[in-house]
Amino acid sequence: MKSLFACFLFAVGSCASGDAIIKVKGSDTEVNLAVQFAESFHEVNETSIVSISGGGSGLGIASLINGNADIANSSRRINDEELELFKKKKIVLDSFVFAQDAIAFVVAKDLKLDTISTIDLAKVLSGVYKNWEALTDKKVQINIYGRQNNSGTHDFVKQRLSIDFTPYAKQMNGNAQIIEAIKTDHSGIGYVGAGYVGHGANTEIKVLYIKDGVVKRPVSPLDATSIVAGLYFFQRPLFQYYRRSSISKIKAFLQFENSDQGQQIIRTAGYYPFK
Amino acid sequence: MMHYRREDTDRLFKYIFKAAGLLTIALLGGIFFMLLYNSIALFANIKPLDFFTGSQWNPESLNQKYGIAPLLVSTFLVAIGSMAIAIPLGILTATYLSELAPGRLTQFLKPAIEMLAAIPSVAIGFLGIVLVGPGIAKLFGIQSGLNARNGSILLAVMSLPTIITISEDAIKAVPNTYREASLALGANRWQTIFRVTLPAAMPGLIAAVMLGLGRALGETMTVLMATGNASVIPRGFLDSIRTITATIAIEMGEVPYQTTHYFALFAIAAVLFLFTLFINLVGERYANQRRKFQE
Repeated sequence: MKSLFACFLFAVGSCASGDAIIKVKGSDTEVNLAVQFAESFHEVNETSIVSISGGGSGLGIASLINGNADIANSSRRINDEELELFKKKKIVLDSFVFAQDAIAFVVAKDLKLDTISTIDLAKVLSGVYKNWEALTDKKVQINIYGRQNNSGTHDFVKQRLSIDFTPYAKQMNGNAQIIEAIKTDHSGIGYVGAGYVGHGANTEIKVLYIKDGVVKRPVSPLDATSIVAGLYFFQRPLFQYYRRSSISKIKAFLQFENSDQGQQIIRTAGYYPFK
Repeated sequence: MMHYRREDTDRLFKYIFKAAGLLTIALLGGIFFMLLYNSIALFANIKPLDFFTGSQWNPESLNQKYGIAPLLVSTFLVAIGSMAIAIPLGILTATYLSELAPGRLTQFLKPAIEMLAAIPSVAIGFLGIVLVGPGIAKLFGIQSGLNARNGSILLAVMSLPTIITISEDAIKAVPNTYREASLALGANRWQTIFRVTLPAAMPGLIAAVMLGLGRALGETMTVLMATGNASVIPRGFLDSIRTITATIAIEMGEVPYQTTHYFALFAIAAVLFLFTLFINLVGERYANQRRKFQE
């Protein structure tokens, strides 16, 4: 019934505009970038319309399975359970990496901490360190502001550090809310996509340098050259998943993302090209 | 000929109305059985004892934990906290409106209170993030205002219209003879209100509180936005909490179908449903009692 309805909508849409509407759903991290792509693509290619919506990586992939989206934006790799569902429905899946994202760890400006090692970070986020005494001179409680557990960013940080988040971590609705919280909370630490903190827009928060065991030098998520060289610990490819059968419909859009203009959009939006 | 037709129309309409009534009941029954059916599937994988007494809700970890306790405690903490604010405020307002306020002021105040019910919950949640939360943080000298206290205040605001409107009706319904008798015996206005009018209206007031509580328990968006969503058993009002409703809202969109996690969400929904059903039934019972007394 639902798919019938979707077919019907699809038919109406294609009659009205000549070209079909490309529906893109998924990751909230990628949604700003995707909107900019869609707008610029429409300027170049006036007959096509790209509609973008967020909701989380998992939602995008679920929509791709049941045919409510043509492209699923995902800030994480598709997992086995989801792949199984595609197999069951006999859908051939293709993926495309269109940009890279870095996760920035942010604290309030007046916290005496500029660099954190991944080992310490794991201890902070898993609740081993309950206050800042071990890392700074102040003994104040650590407040963690993370994303909700349906977020690809949440999963990514968890897997990268191989930890379970402490249940005391607060779960916020989105990147902007985390930044708002860190601005007022002088003992908070949060993680957001680098696109949300770039360009020195927020003067009340501080982006931490991350030091890991391999790259001895602390690296900032705002350092483009290091990211392109793959030196930052929390950088990840941003995926777009699509059905192989719908390639003809979305090909022009994917090519646009890969063009010079597309790469420029990626950079100005605070993300990094995948090259 | 005309005679026939009228009877047929009558019968037809009787069936239409009956069908509409039965449909509502069928919907309620259907929802309840769907919740129950899916919840029972959970207990194939999880021991009921672990579900009800487990102190952690963490379906995402490797060692999945489905303890409803932190969610239940959070839900009731924030709801009871909101009632602690809304009951005195609501009943006093209702008393003022029905007993003391001059007619013109009532005409202005009543619609204003009803307007309060028209504010979307997402807007109230937003106020919680940008206004009430930071205010609480400053007031209590803590770093973050996203906690149970924040949620309580917002839910109190949201349940006030329900409590005030129903209480006011209940107080108005107390026959004037009661007041006159009290005043004639030499009681002053204060004594009359607190010792005669309000006790006489008590069943209606309880109904108002129960319906307000039901509203606070079921509210989702506001608590999701304003309480921090940390799923541990809170130690007090200044801790972040995560209610049943917020948990369902956050996790339902993502959960793979027919998994333990999926069934667990149905199970906590069923628990919430049973609680609100019980509270609404109690409320209704008292509301009916009031109606009898009016006759």
